[in-house]
Amino acid sequence: MANLFVDGKYGDRGIVLGNEAIARGALEAGIGYASMYPGTPASEIIIALDKNKKNIKNLYTEFSLNEHISLHGAIGASWTGIRSLCAMKNVGLNVASEPAHFLAYTGVKAGLVLAIGSDPGAPSSSNEQDDRWYSLHTYMPIIEPSNIQEAKDFTKKAFDISEQFSFGIILMAPSRLCHNAGILNFGDCSDRDLISGNFKRDPENYLNLFNLAVKNHKKYLERNELLKKYVYNSELNMIIDAQISSTKSSRIGFISSGIIYSHLIEALNFINADNYKILKLGITFPLSEELINKFLDNLDEVVIVEEAEGFLEFQIKKIAFEIGYHGKIHGKNVFKAYGELTIDDVINGVAGFLGKAAPEYFTAAVNKSEILSDKTPQRMGTFCVGCPHRGTIYSILKASGYSNTDSKDRDVIIAGDIGCYTLGLLPPYNAMDWLTCMNSGLSIGQAISIADKSKKIIALVGDSTFYHSGIPVLMNAIQNNSNILYIILDNSWTAMTGHQKTPSTKTDIDGTPIPNSVNLKDLLKSLGVSYIKTVDPNSVKRFSVIIKEALTEKGLKVIIAKRECILQEERRKKIKNIKSKTENSPEMFYELQKERCVKCNECFVELACPAIQSAKENGINNGKEYYFIDPVSCVKCGVCYEVCPNSAIRKVEFNLHPVINSALNPESQLSFLGNK
Amino acid sequence: MKKFNIAITGLGGQGIITAGTILKNAVLDSVMEDVSGSERRGGAQREGYVEAFVKYIFYDSIAELQNPRKNMHSPMIASGDADVLISLEPLETLRAASYVNKNSVIIFNTNPHIPISVRMGKNKYPELDDILESLYGITDNVFYYDFNKLSLENFGSIISCNVISLGVLFAKTNIPVSKNVIENILLKGSKAKDNLRAFNIGLNL
Repeated sequence: MANLFVDGKYGDRGIVLGNEAIARGALEAGIGYASMYPGTPASEIIIALDKNKKNIKNLYTEFSLNEHISLHGAIGASWTGIRSLCAMKNVGLNVASEPAHFLAYTGVKAGLVLAIGSDPGAPSSSNEQDDRWYSLHTYMPIIEPSNIQEAKDFTKKAFDISEQFSFGIILMAPSRLCHNAGILNFGDCSDRDLISGNFKRDPENYLNLFNLAVKNHKKYLERNELLKKYVYNSELNMIIDAQISSTKSSRIGFISSGIIYSHLIEALNFINADNYKILKLGITFPLSEELINKFLDNLDEVVIVEEAEGFLEFQIKKIAFEIGYHGKIHGKNVFKAYGELTIDDVINGVAGFLGKAAPEYFTAAVNKSEILSDKTPQRMGTFCVGCPHRGTIYSILKASGYSNTDSKDRDVIIAGDIGCYTLGLLPPYNAMDWLTCMNSGLSIGQAISIADKSKKIIALVGDSTFYHSGIPVLMNAIQNNSNILYIILDNSWTAMTGHQKTPSTKTDIDGTPIPNSVNLKDLLKSLGVSYIKTVDPNSVKRFSVIIKEALTEKGLKVIIAKRECILQEERRKKIKNIKSKTENSPEMFYELQKERCVKCNECFVELACPAIQSAKENGINNGKEYYFIDPVSCVKCGVCYEVCPNSAIRKVEFNLHPVINSALNPESQLSFLGNK
Repeated sequence: MKKFNIAITGLGGQGIITAGTILKNAVLDSVMEDVSGSERRGGAQREGYVEAFVKYIFYDSIAELQNPRKNMHSPMIASGDADVLISLEPLETLRAASYVNKNSVIIFNTNPHIPISVRMGKNKYPELDDILESLYGITDNVFYYDFNKLSLENFGSIISCNVISLGVLFAKTNIPVSKNVIENILLKGSKAKDNLRAFNIGLNL
């Protein structure tokens, strides 16, 4: 089957993810440069381009070390005349905010689009920030698509607007759009054969100092005014007039944008409210005073339906004041400013405001879910079976004596950071004392080590996060002689966002060696770290002894917990097995012997490997509970074998062929083996 | 306009997203048909909650297709608005029960996966009978099977639970898509033979 993402043309239809639609829009616009530091929910934007780049002419893709670098990269490409796409998650813009604040000063040459995946409800983030507010000072125009089709079409259009007004354009995509999968009607791609960059000096725009900066500040404010005229006429915005005027409903209007607009339309249909005037904003910065004036005309009341703190409400109320609008403007008095604004929230808000009833089956389901939620224990993510981070977290808790407790009185402080290992903050581990932004672990920890000398401090960081912005933090800690234990959890990949390479990645998934990979130990030495130990995090007993030891030493200590992400290791095994399949090779598995197990919970609760499960004897509800290792999910990492204090877990070796069909019942596996 | 909403829920690694994608590929042939629906991917970890929505739209007329009040759809399913709930884990069935109404069909896997809080003894995992009682309190149309067992017995792994459940979907609901279309999609995909067999196992449950 042809690859639609690459070869699709006008008239083709396919199922794509919102993120892929954004990438495809950029491809249709003829980009030649795409960069990002991976971050959920935006990662698939650049992944889609990167994995197909062999089949796309003149496309360079880069998973940069951080967002600051990746946005600068896109700017550089634009200055050579190459259209560029940069993507990042919401908090990425904090890191990239510096280049973002200069982009209006310098302007662009070829179109530049910055796609931002926001994360309301924070299912994959450490905050819910609404990046649109940045544009009040960066002056980057904001485009907000409402569905998959618009995600592609608006991205394509954004490149033209970027070039016409010499601004980098922000394309806002919340997770509900990034991860909305559905039909996309493809367009044609630009002819990209002739693309070749050519940097020309442009000192008037690119040099900013003293009065040069002031002059460029004035220039972009002028460009912003011109852009507002364009916004007034742009088809990206749309006014839907009331069908029957001179009714009461025709004097109430709704304003919305992005994915929330799609909730609004569905909500209005849900409650059969089809005669209200609606303003759909495809461009949410800058707003056109003229357009808002045109919409507010004839309206007594307007409701702004949006997520977070009310960016549109803030701007529209200012415009309303300037034009002397005397009606009422509602927004955050109707809709909450925190958490995800769901379709249910919009139905409830709109129905409540209009004094209309939501359908009976909707209210019945909402009421029912409140009753059911009491009966439904929460399910939180945890480390994958065989994840090396489980070994690290377990070893830290053993060394510090904080297993299975969430006590607030601890003498060993454990600083968290961003990555898969962040899951260690959840029960049963409760292994972290704070989690905010990238590399907050060591930097906050360093100050605490100075301010509170009674505590011992362990700071965690993953390899990708360390290379993102951790090196200056570490140097700062070294130079100020901090008393801290820094554990770098080096699993060789940026695992959480889909396994992008880090500078530590030495071998690609197919076994290809990666040139220029960094020797982390050498790097640490050259930074001036004298205490460096490398351990296998799955050797938990040894690891916890080393941690205990390190905590007694003064100064800055680094332990590298080195083991590849289990998902990648397993994938590599599969690829190898396909290449050289050997039958009847000796295999092994771990068995939890029911008769020896005293259910001390060392493996089941403290280590909490999901492959160790419980069942009731004879399958009866109130039968005696026992633990077993689920052979289907176990990856044979052996950590449970090491931690069991009663030798109830044993290693069984056998030949592969007789066991193939007996994976169903863990006990039946052993029947043919006898007891070794 | 005719709509048909399906919510698919379960845990990471169960093939929830794949099941949704198979269903979505069924309506590519006509501009009068549309499908979308958001996915909760929940990071790379294997224990987290995952869901995929499949919202089919069948327009009555070109005018309706072009009407901005009608042609825009939320990627989410509102409470009570799912025609079908497919869940590959019993507890997650209970969690997602807010999507269904008294006319909806619930199809779920009885094989439990115990969350950490239960493991720690802080919560109790509900008994199957209690789950059924809650579900029957919403709708009479509840179908449940041990998909893990069926998949293991037939394929030696639990990888086919999702496709077996799709077979049940076509056997037990009035989904306005032809099962031949789904069979053709499975035929074009990887592991076509196993998937077609799994689909048929579900069809005959």
